[in-house]
Amino acid sequence: MDYKWISDLLEKYWEGETTLEEEAMLRDFFSVPHADLPEALQEAAPLFQYFNVEAAKDWDVPPVMLPVTTPVVKLSPLRHWMKYAAVALVAVGIGYALKQQQVRKQDAAIALRQQEMNDPQKALDETKKALQLLARNLNKGTAKMQKLAYFNEATSLVEGKND
Amino acid sequence: MSLERFLTQVVPVRQKLYRFAFRLLGNEEDAQDITQDALMKVWSMQEKMVELQNMEAWCMRITRNLALDKIKSRKYRLSDDLDRAGEVPAIHQQSPHAAAEQNDVMGKVHVAINALPEKYRTILQLRDIDGLSYQEIADVLDIDMNDVKVNLHRARKSVREKLQNLQVYGL
Repeated sequence: MDYKWISDLLEKYWEGETTLEEEAMLRDFFSVPHADLPEALQEAAPLFQYFNVEAAKDWDVPPVMLPVTTPVVKLSPLRHWMKYAAVALVAVGIGYALKQQQVRKQDAAIALRQQEMNDPQKALDETKKALQLLARNLNKGTAKMQKLAYFNEATSLVEGKND
Repeated sequence: MSLERFLTQVVPVRQKLYRFAFRLLGNEEDAQDITQDALMKVWSMQEKMVELQNMEAWCMRITRNLALDKIKSRKYRLSDDLDRAGEVPAIHQQSPHAAAEQNDVMGKVHVAINALPEKYRTILQLRDIDGLSYQEIADVLDIDMNDVKVNLHRARKSVREKLQNLQVYGL
């Protein structure tokens, strides 16, 4: 049997120059046993038999777990309008209560002050305190004016204008 | 990408992805996990699908990257090749003795191929077992077509030398 053509093809294969069709021919050739193969072909036979076995292997592929997709539901912003209304109502209520409390406190403070002024003794004490404060401040002014007078006097002495 | 498109274009490729992952990882359980992860990743990157020219190659590339990540992250150890050599079925079972001899030879070829660097091994398997064209292999590995040819040539040369060294053919 002439093995020259297959030997040439095999040489081409080792050089990486074969096409897919030629490689299929090689696999086909080696898929059946041949008698009196030349050594070069015997060398390659197990490799191509291995390729055939591997290519024909059945693979037990597990089933695919498909991704679970849930449809996207668009929610309208007004869908829960009652919730929003309730929250707004509570906020308004709290705000109103706080405001009322503040107004009441102010009223109470004014009323207390007025009540204090109606008492003559307390009014007198308050007036005294105010006048004492005024007097203290006026005294401070007087002390400064005295210093200024001394300064003027000293200046006149230096200039010799003193009579 | 709609679910229908996913079912018609991606799901049928799963056998190829599984086989590819199995060859890289060497074990069924991890190959199943990686195949599932790859399909989920494809699903999550569905907006990219429109621009793709070779979707199968893209899916295989994702599978390969995930498998290589797994090997790296867990310092994966491939199960002993000699143990798995017994799993390779014989082609012509003329007699139990012939079958055992055949399995032994197949096992040695398997060891020789698995001893190749990952890139060489993958290129050799994609070409000689799966029958992919140079361009398809280049797409899967995201490399130049000339690199595929060069690496395939080196891979075949290396296998030839390994087989000669193992003296498979003298048995």
